[in-house]
Amino acid sequence: MLGLFWIIASYALFVGGISLFFSGFASLSAQEFTIYVALGYATFTFLMANIADGSAVFSTSSAWIKSTNLPYSIYVFKSLFRSLLPFVMQLTVAFALMLYFGTFAKVSWHAFMALPALVMFLLCAVPLQYALGLISARYDDIQHSINAITRLLIFITPILWVREEAHGTRGLLADLNPMTHFLEIFRNPLMGMDARPLSWMVVIGVTILMWLFAGLISTLMRQRLPFWI
Amino acid sequence: MNRHTPIPQKKADVMSGVSDRSDCRVILENVSLDFPLHSTAKLALMQNQRGVVPPTKDADKLIMKNGRIKGVHALRDLSLTIKSGERVGLIGSNGSGKTTLLQVLAGILPPTKGRVTITGRPTSLINIHLGLMPHATGHRNIMLRGLAAGQDRDTIESKREEIAQFCQLGDFLELPVSTYSAGMRMRLNFAIATAFTPEILILDEWLSAGDQEFKKNASMRMREFVEQAGILVLASHGPDMLLQNCERGIWLDAGRVRQDGGMKEVLKAYQAEKAGKK
Repeated sequence: MLGLFWIIASYALFVGGISLFFSGFASLSAQEFTIYVALGYATFTFLMANIADGSAVFSTSSAWIKSTNLPYSIYVFKSLFRSLLPFVMQLTVAFALMLYFGTFAKVSWHAFMALPALVMFLLCAVPLQYALGLISARYDDIQHSINAITRLLIFITPILWVREEAHGTRGLLADLNPMTHFLEIFRNPLMGMDARPLSWMVVIGVTILMWLFAGLISTLMRQRLPFWI
Repeated sequence: MNRHTPIPQKKADVMSGVSDRSDCRVILENVSLDFPLHSTAKLALMQNQRGVVPPTKDADKLIMKNGRIKGVHALRDLSLTIKSGERVGLIGSNGSGKTTLLQVLAGILPPTKGRVTITGRPTSLINIHLGLMPHATGHRNIMLRGLAAGQDRDTIESKREEIAQFCQLGDFLELPVSTYSAGMRMRLNFAIATAFTPEILILDEWLSAGDQEFKKNASMRMREFVEQAGILVLASHGPDMLLQNCERGIWLDAGRVRQDGGMKEVLKAYQAEKAGKK
C-alpha cells in the first residue's frame, strides 16, 4: 500500500516519460527541461484544479449546505486545501530533481520570489472557487465548458514548450493567456530567473478583478444557493 | 402568488452564543418561502400536457410561468414565536412544509418574504448523513462535528467519553463511518449534536430509525437539555414520539399553520381529520 505516495510516484513517472520524449524540442538542456516540466506541470495542474474543484465546490457539499448554517466560504477553504496538498507533494518531485541535478546553487536568492507567487495563487483561488461554485450550482452544464477550456489551455500554456522560443501567433497567444503569467511568476524564480513585471501585473490585476467579480456574484446569488444544489 | 422568480431575502438574523440560555428565542414574522425550481421542473409537465397546463389539485401550491413549474410555495405567511424551554412538535402530511420550516428555523434557508430572528445557536439534525465523513473513524468524526459546531478541541475531548457512552458504539468508533448502519450513524450523530448542550435543537423525523432503547435514551436526553432552558423543535409522524417529547404542537397544512396549541389536542385534531378523509 503506497497510499498518498502514489501521488508522488505517478507524478515522477509522468515527468520522467515527458522528459524522455520531449526534451529535444526545446533548447534547454535535458536536465533543465526535466525540472522545467516538473515545476510547470505541477503548477498548471494546481491552477486548473482550482477551476475544476471550484465549479463543484458547493454541489459536492450540498448535504452540509442544506443542513447546517456554516458560512459558505468554509467549503471553499476546504476545497482549496485539498488541491494544495497534491501540489505540494508534486513539487517535492521537482525539488528532488533540482537537488539531484545540483541546480539549487544556480537558482540562489531568486527562489524566494516563488513564495509571494504562491500567496497570489491562494489569494486568487479563493474568489475564483467561490464565484465558480455559485455559478455552476445554478447552471450545472458549466462543468462541460470547463473541461473544454482545460484541454485547450494545456496547449497554449508554456509547459512542454518555452515561451521565449515561440514567435508570432504562438508567443502572442501565450501572453494573452493569463495562465502563462501565473505559471511564470512561480516557475521562473525556481529556475533561477526573474519573472517579467508584465506577468506580475497580470496576476495582480486578475486577482483584483476576481475579488470584485466574486463580490458581485455573491451578492446576486448567495442567498439562493441552498435552493439550487 | 404570481411572483415568478422568488428572490429570497437574507437568511435569519442569527445571534449565536447567548449569555443566558433562557434568552433563546425564535421569532418568525409573516414568513413565506417559495422554493425555486429550475431545469427539473419542465420535463415532468411536458409529458402530460399538450400546450395547455391541465388544472391539478396542487395548482395553488405551484408557481407557474409559460406552462412550466417555476417554483413551489413551501411556506405561506407563517408567524410564530418559540421561547426558551418550549418543546415543539411539528406534524403534517408529507409535503406540508415541515422540513422546509425546520431549515428556516435553523437559519439554513432564507425566507422569500418576512423576517426570521433566531437568538441562540441552532443545532440541526435534518439530514442523517450530515457531517459524518465516511472515510474517517467514528472518533475522528466526533472531533470534526464538534469543530463544525464551533466548539474548541479541549471541550470536544472532554465530551468524547460521554459521547461514546451515549451512542454505545463501543469499538466501532475505531472503524470508518462508512461501515456503519443507518441506525449507528444516527446514534453517533445524535450523540454528538446533543453533547454540547445545544441552545436550539432542531430534529427531523429520522430519529424514529433508532431502536426502542435508543429512543428512550434520546427522549431522556432531550428532556434533560430542555430543562436547561433550550428550545426543541421536532418533526415526526410518530404520535408516541411527539407526545413523549413535546408539549406544544404545531400542525402544518400546505405551508400554513393549521393549528397551534397543546400537543395532545393538535395531534387529536390531526388524527381525526386523517381518519375522516379515509
